[in-house]
Amino acid sequence: MNIYSTLQKLCACPSISGREDNIRGLISEMILPFADEVRVDSLGNLIALKKGKSSEQRLMLCAHMDEIGFLVNFIEDDGSVRVAPIGGINFTASSYSCLISEKGVRGVLVPEGKVKAEDFKADKFYIDIGAKNKKDAERRVSIGDFFVAEGGIKKLMGKRIAGRPLDDRIGCAVLLSVAEALWTKELDADVYYVFSVQEEVGCRGSMTAAFAIAPTHSLCFDVTGTGDTLGASSMACKLGGGAAVKIKDSSVICSEEVVNTLCKLAKENKIPFQREILLYGGTDTSSMQLAGAGCLAGALSIPTRYIHSGVETCDLGDVEACASLAALFAENI
Amino acid sequence: MYNEKISPELYELCNLFGPSGYEGEVADYIEDKIKNICDNYTKDRMGNLICLIRAGDENAEGRQRIMVSAHMDEVGVMITEICDDGLLRFDTVGGINVSVLEGRKLTLSSEKGKLCGLVMSKAIHHIDRKDRDKPNKIEKLYIDIGAKNAEEASTRVSIGDFGAFDSEFYLFGEDGAFVKAKAIDDRAGCANIIEVMRSIYANRPEANLDLYFCFTVREETGLSGAKVAANEIRPHIAIVLESTAIADIPTADPSKKVADVGKGGALSVADRSTIYDKELIELALASGKEENIPVQLKRYVSGGNDAGHIHKSGSGVRCLAISVPTRYLHSPACVASVEDINSVRRLLEALLYRITD
Amino acid sequence: MNQIQQILKDRIIKLCSVMSVSGFEKRAKDTLYEKLGGDFDEIKTDPVGNHIFIKRCGKENAPLCLVDAHFDEVGMMVTDILDGGFLKFTQIGGLSLSVLQAADVIIYGRQTLRGVIISTPPHLRDGSDKLAAIEDLLIDTGYSKEALEEITPVGTPVGFAPVYREMLSGTLVGKSFDNKACGAVCAEAIASIDRSDLPCDVALMLSSFEETSRLGGVSSGVYSLEPDYAVVTDVNLARVPDTKKYETVPLFEGISIAFSTATDRALTLASEKLCKEKDIPHTMTAAPSSTGTNSPTVNLTGRGVPVVDIGLPLKNMHTYNETVSLDDAESLYRFIREFVMSKEIAEFFKKREEDIFNV
Repeated sequence: MNIYSTLQKLCACPSISGREDNIRGLISEMILPFADEVRVDSLGNLIALKKGKSSEQRLMLCAHMDEIGFLVNFIEDDGSVRVAPIGGINFTASSYSCLISEKGVRGVLVPEGKVKAEDFKADKFYIDIGAKNKKDAERRVSIGDFFVAEGGIKKLMGKRIAGRPLDDRIGCAVLLSVAEALWTKELDADVYYVFSVQEEVGCRGSMTAAFAIAPTHSLCFDVTGTGDTLGASSMACKLGGGAAVKIKDSSVICSEEVVNTLCKLAKENKIPFQREILLYGGTDTSSMQLAGAGCLAGALSIPTRYIHSGVETCDLGDVEACASLAALFAENI
Repeated sequence: MYNEKISPELYELCNLFGPSGYEGEVADYIEDKIKNICDNYTKDRMGNLICLIRAGDENAEGRQRIMVSAHMDEVGVMITEICDDGLLRFDTVGGINVSVLEGRKLTLSSEKGKLCGLVMSKAIHHIDRKDRDKPNKIEKLYIDIGAKNAEEASTRVSIGDFGAFDSEFYLFGEDGAFVKAKAIDDRAGCANIIEVMRSIYANRPEANLDLYFCFTVREETGLSGAKVAANEIRPHIAIVLESTAIADIPTADPSKKVADVGKGGALSVADRSTIYDKELIELALASGKEENIPVQLKRYVSGGNDAGHIHKSGSGVRCLAISVPTRYLHSPACVASVEDINSVRRLLEALLYRITD
Repeated sequence: MNQIQQILKDRIIKLCSVMSVSGFEKRAKDTLYEKLGGDFDEIKTDPVGNHIFIKRCGKENAPLCLVDAHFDEVGMMVTDILDGGFLKFTQIGGLSLSVLQAADVIIYGRQTLRGVIISTPPHLRDGSDKLAAIEDLLIDTGYSKEALEEITPVGTPVGFAPVYREMLSGTLVGKSFDNKACGAVCAEAIASIDRSDLPCDVALMLSSFEETSRLGGVSSGVYSLEPDYAVVTDVNLARVPDTKKYETVPLFEGISIAFSTATDRALTLASEKLCKEKDIPHTMTAAPSSTGTNSPTVNLTGRGVPVVDIGLPLKNMHTYNETVSLDDAESLYRFIREFVMSKEIAEFFKKREEDIFNV
C-alpha cells in the first residue's frame, strides 16, 4: 500500500465528528480485502476483525476518522452563516480558510471586522458562502448543517508532508497498512481494526467500541505534538525521530507492560522509536483503557507539527515505523 | 390554577419537592400514576423509575429496545453548615445563578419533615455603595429558618438536608397560554411521558418494541442516573424529553437564541455532551410535518442532558432529544408555552408509532 | 497509644513507603501480596492496576460489599534528560508547587536513585516574586547524562522520599497517606474480622488512577466485580487556619461521612446510625455536587452501586509531609469493621437480581 496516495484519498474526504458517513464508506471499502468481518455500530464506529487462532486474546487497534469543524446555528439577514465549533478549534489557525459543508457548499471562514486576534472566538466569526441575503443563503444551507475546512495534503522536502486533516487520517492510514501487512499472517489473537467516531469531542466512539469488543490489549494511533520547532514548549519528541511510544498524555498513563513491549520490539528489530510524554491533549487511549473491565492500553503516536491547523506536518518515515512496530506488536500477543 | 389545556399532573408534578439526590416524593407520585398503565415497572438502586410496555409480537426475534426518559430532579440547595446563630450555610445542587436565590423562599425537606426557609443577606444599607451593583457571592448568603441558635436549628435540620424553590404555579398571558412554575425542567417531560404511556398502553404500536419509559434521577448535577438506567436497559434507541434554556428575549443577541417559544419542541443537533443521531432527527422532523405538529431545531450549541451519558453507555446508543423551550430555566419562575408542552407530547407519540423494528 | 493504634501505625508506614505513583500501581503488587495476601481468600490485580483482595463469608447468595481505597499516589515523571545529569520532570496528579523546591525524591528507574529538586535561585531569575514553574525545576542526580539515559529513561516515575515521624497526640507525618493510609487501615480492619461474623463477601479494592484520571481505575474494577453496595474511603481536607468550616473537617474528631448527590442517602444515613450506635467518633459533612473522590464513579458504574463516602481527615495534602491522627485512623478501623459486619445493611442491599424485568 502506498501510504501517501492512501492519505491523499482519506484527507480529501470531509467528515466532521458525529457525521462520519463519507469517510466510513471510503475506509470500509479499503479495509474489506484485509478483514474477515466488517460492521458498523450504533454510534457509527467502523469495526473490522481479523480472526486469530483463538479469541481469548483480543487486540483492539484504533484510529479516529472524525475531524474538527463547525455546526451552523444561525443565518444573519445579510446571508452570513454563524457557526459553533465542534472539537478544539483554534480560531487563529482557522481564520481565512476555505470550508466545505456536508452538502458540498463552499464558504470562507472570516472574523468580523475590527476583531483583534487575541479576541478570536466562535461568536466573532462567520462563514461567507457568497449568498446575497438570508433567503439566498437558506437555499443552500440550513441550521444544523456541518462545515469542515477543506482537506488536502502536499509533499514537502524528503519524506515530509503537510496539509489536513492529518489528525487523524494519518492514524487511519497506519491502521490500513497494518491490516494489509497482517492479512496473510496467522496470528494467535483476534485483531480488531476500529476506525472510531467522535474522538475530537471527547473520545466518545472508542469508548463504546471498546465496551463491545472487550479487548485484552489496545493500541491507539493518533498524532502527537513535537518540541522541535522554533519557540516550541519543551518536549522530547521530534519529527523524523521514529514511532512515538506514548507514556502519558493529559488523559492517560499508558500501561507499563505495553510501553515496555513496544520499546523492546522496536530495539530488537531496529525500528526507530522515541518515548513520548504529551503534557496537553488526550487520545482514545484513555477510553479504551477504562472501558468495561479495563485492558492493557498503549498508543503509537505520529509526531506532527502545527496540529489542528491547515498545515499539519509529519514525516512518512515515522508513519512507516509506527506501522511496522504495530504489526510486530500484534504478532507477539 | 390550571385549565383543560394542561394535564393536572403537570401542576402537581411541578409543585412536588425533588432536588437531585432526593427525588423520592416525585418518584412515589409517578409510581402511583403509572402502575396501571404499563406491563411492568421497577425502581432501580439509584431511584430511577423504569416502566415497560411491550408492543408487537412478544416472542419475535430482534425486538428493539427503546428508552424514553425524562428526569425527575430539579435544581436546589444543600445545607453545609449550621452556624452558631441558627442560620444555615448552603451550596447549590445543580446550576443555579446565585442572583435568583437572594431573598427567595425555599422549602427545606428531610426525613424530619418540611419547613420554610428564607435566603437572606446583609441589608442594602450595610453594603458599601460601590458594591451595591455586584451580585452577592454564595459565601455571603444564609438560610434563615427562624431558629434562635444552632441548638434550635439542629432539632429541625441537619447538614446534608435539601432545599428547593417555594414558588407558585400559575397560568398567565392571553387565554392562559403560558405556564409559570418552578421545576418545569423537567416535570413537563415527566407529565408528557405519563400521558404518552396512557395512550400507548391502550393502543400499542404494531412494531416489535420493548418501550422502556424512564423517570430518572440526578440529571441536574451531571451525575446522571440515566447512565445507570441505560446500562440496565441496553437500549437501541433513546429519546430524551427535556427543557432547554432559550435566550428568547429581546435584549439577547438573535444569533445566540437557542429556540423560540411557541414554535414547538426543539430538537438538538449537537450540544456540549452529545452529537445526535441524524436519522432520528430526520424521522422527528418528518413526523412533525406529517402530523402537523410544530417542531424546531435547537440552534446555539450549549448545555447538555441525559443523552450525554446514555449515548456512550454500553456499546453505544442512538439518541434524540426533544426539549420544551423554557424561559428563565433553573429559576423559581420558569416560563413555558402550554402549546409547546403539548407539541412535545404529540411528537413523542407520533414517533413511537413510527419507529420500526 | 493503644495496641490497635500501634498496629495501624506499622501497617500505614509499611504500605505508604511502597512506590505507587499513579500509573505504576502494579509495581506494588509483590509487596502488597506479601503483606496482605495471607488475610484474604482471593487476590488479583486487574489490567488497569486495581489490586483486589476478597474475603468470603462462606454463606450462600451473600451480597458483595466493596471497600474501596485508591492506592495510587501523586508524584512526578521524567520528561527529559539534560547534560550534566539533570532530569526535567512533570507532575503526576496535582502537586503543590510551593513544597517542591529542595525536596528529596527517589527516581524509580532500572535502579532506584536518590535525587534533589533544584531550581535557579530567586536572585538570578526574572520575576523572582513568583514560584518557579514546574518546567523550570530540575532533579539533580549526580549521574552523567549517558548513565541516566540507561537507568532513568523518559517516562520513569519519581516519588517523594519516605520519611515518617510521630508528633504529639498520636499524629503521624510523612508521604502518601493520601490514600494508602486508608487502604492500610481498611486492610487491617477486614483482616481482623472472623469469617463467621460476616453477613457478606467483602472485596477490598486498592484502586488505581484516582489522582490522574477523570473516571479512576476503580470503574473497571467495579464493572467486573459488580458489588451490591460499597464504601469509598479517602482522605479529607482537615481544618487549618484560613479555611472554611463547611469545606473542611476537624482533625482528632473521627471520620467524616459526606452527604452528597453523588452517594446513596439511605446508606449514608445507615452509616451515621451505625456510628452513633457503636460510639464511633464522626463528623457529618455535605458535598452537594461531588465528593471529589471515587464515590461518583463507583455509584454510576454498571447498573449502579449504592455507596457511602467516608473521609479520614488529613493536613498538608499532596505534599511529602501529609499529616493524620492515629485516633482518627482507629475510628476508621472501627467503622469499617462495623460496616462490613452490619447485618442490617447487608439485608437492605441483598444480592440483586440478574434482570429487572426477566424479558
